[in-house]
Amino acid sequence: MSGDVIYEVKNVSKRYGSVVALDGASLKLHAGEVLGLVGDNGAGKSTLVKVLSGAHKPDGGQIFLDGVEQSWSSPRQALDAGIETLYQDSGLAPHLTVSQNVFLGREKLVRGPLGALGFLASKAMETEAHADLERVGIAVPSSSRSVSQLSGGQRQAVAIGRAVAWARKVIILDEPTNHLGARQAGEVLHVIQAAKSKGLGVIFISHTLPHVLEVTDRIVVLRLGKIVKDAPTAEFTSDSLIGTITGSIQTIKLDGD
Amino acid sequence: MTDSHLAQSARSARLQQLTQLATNQSTILVGVMILLTIVFSSLEPKFLSALTANNILTDWGSVALIAVGQTFVIISGGIDLSVGATIGLSGVVSAWTMANVLGVDQTIKGGEASGALLIGTLVSVAVGVLVGLTNAFLINRFKIVPFIATLSTMGAALGFSVIISKGAPIGSASNFALISAIDPKVNPFSWAVIVVIIVVVIVGLFLHKSRFGLYTYAIGSNSFAARAAGINVERHLTKVYVLSGALAGLAGMYVYLRLGAGSPSSGTGRELDAIAAVVIGGASLMGGVGRMLGTVLGALILFTVQSGLIMIGVAPDWKKVVVAVLIAAAVAVQTLQSKNRRTA
Ligand SMILES: Nc1ncnc2c1ncn2[C@@H]1O[C@H](COP(=O)(O)OP(=O)(O)OP(=O)(O)O)[C@@H](O)[C@H]1O
Ligand SMILES: [Mg+2]
Repeated sequence: MSGDVIYEVKNVSKRYGSVVALDGASLKLHAGEVLGLVGDNGAGKSTLVKVLSGAHKPDGGQIFLDGVEQSWSSPRQALDAGIETLYQDSGLAPHLTVSQNVFLGREKLVRGPLGALGFLASKAMETEAHADLERVGIAVPSSSRSVSQLSGGQRQAVAIGRAVAWARKVIILDEPTNHLGARQAGEVLHVIQAAKSKGLGVIFISHTLPHVLEVTDRIVVLRLGKIVKDAPTAEFTSDSLIGTITGSIQTIKLDGD
Repeated sequence: MTDSHLAQSARSARLQQLTQLATNQSTILVGVMILLTIVFSSLEPKFLSALTANNILTDWGSVALIAVGQTFVIISGGIDLSVGATIGLSGVVSAWTMANVLGVDQTIKGGEASGALLIGTLVSVAVGVLVGLTNAFLINRFKIVPFIATLSTMGAALGFSVIISKGAPIGSASNFALISAIDPKVNPFSWAVIVVIIVVVIVGLFLHKSRFGLYTYAIGSNSFAARAAGINVERHLTKVYVLSGALAGLAGMYVYLRLGAGSPSSGTGRELDAIAAVVIGGASLMGGVGRMLGTVLGALILFTVQSGLIMIGVAPDWKKVVVAVLIAAAVAVQTLQSKNRRTA
């Protein structure tokens, strides 16, 4: 069963110029819980992800980690707090190698004076990155390969492997099964289960509704920047989920306004 | 797997390594260097001499310094047009300081001036750092694209150097004998060039082996990803532009030593040589790609061609045309290479 609330947003909003991407969205994530976040294209899912990861500052609203209010001024702070994010796209630097991407921002340095000057322990990182990715269960060729030479699915595997390797509290996966074949997508669902059983809170975003219904404990539906439904997965059927996403099934307003 | 299979796969791995080496930018550049040397020395036997090599390397020195800084800037996805003007400004400020504050004049000999020269070098580098900080401030604070930001500081630096020098070179001791300390007829390497080589090697190691270099590639490759990985992109770019400025300041001192004077126009157009060297060396103006060895060879090719053309009696104006052709060829080769890689 799920534990305490570890991550929470209250009433966050975010506009891009005249576009309202998030409009007073609130949600709670518990430890050991997989939360599905669904909604049509442009509903605001990735925007919410960027607010949660510290990449974007919301225009309004509050963020709480373990009950303490936070105001991320950069992704660094969220990362240091144990929150890992897989972005929908552009989360990797294509010209860097697999291991350089896995360790980016958290490099291992050589020992001694050269380490003090910032010289990298590349071999050690390559070996470790390889092991991290193997744990994800998606084969990636040599971790000294540049990411631009990988297939879309392999890149996705690298991004997932990195997030899983570093996450300590929360892991946010924005469409992690994109570009993946059926078997590899299955592996990702296993990885999600494993993270959950370690007590992490997982936010899983996907348009593949069977995956969402299979792996999540609770589902939050976003429509036009507003959260229109937040209920245990058991309360949804495939049809009712689709209906809620598209708006053909009317939802009770959560905020009571 | 049987033994013959193993041997076969080892052979194909070796073959792959060989093809990689053959299509490697640095290998191509070394080939071009050798080819140029053969062509020029068969047309003009005097080309193959220590004196010619000394001239080429001496020219190479100042541009190598700014090209090294430019390599970082271009890999980070930016460009620094201010380095040429910074050579002029730092040379002028440094010469002014040495002449008016430290009392260096025409009568002083190289050895007696070493203290003054050291201070002059520090002043020169400090001026470069200031220009770099200004570039970074414009780029980070006002989100001005690097091309325009550094174009502005280029203009300002040129203006200041003319104001300070009143348009004329500030001369001091005309011969510090540092540029030609070793007999140029038998040894192509002057002390100044040796210092440049040491600086290039150290900075090159930082580009390819250190976190500083890695972050430079990461930002040029995908600045969103770099930021998302926790890198402070603005702070890193500040360091990159300061490095470029500092090296331009060092180049300013180098040129001062060469001319025996600080002249406002002494670096004019050098930024284009530096950019050409970096691009010929295989870097991409889109960022994320580039090698220090490529840049160093690129600069060497640039000056080998220039001095070779002059020695075989081609009018100097042709030099610009040849450099233009070199740049176009380098970019074409690069595009072909990356196309091959994608379809492979
Ligand atoms: N950087 C941006 N600048 C301007 N508008 C943006 C930006 N990012 C997102 N938007 C807009 O905000 C809205 C929400 O976008 P968001 O990416 O959050 O949707 P999404 O739910 O993730 O969609 P998808 O399922 O297609 O990934 C859209 O209308 C989009 O056009
Ligand atoms: Mg999205």
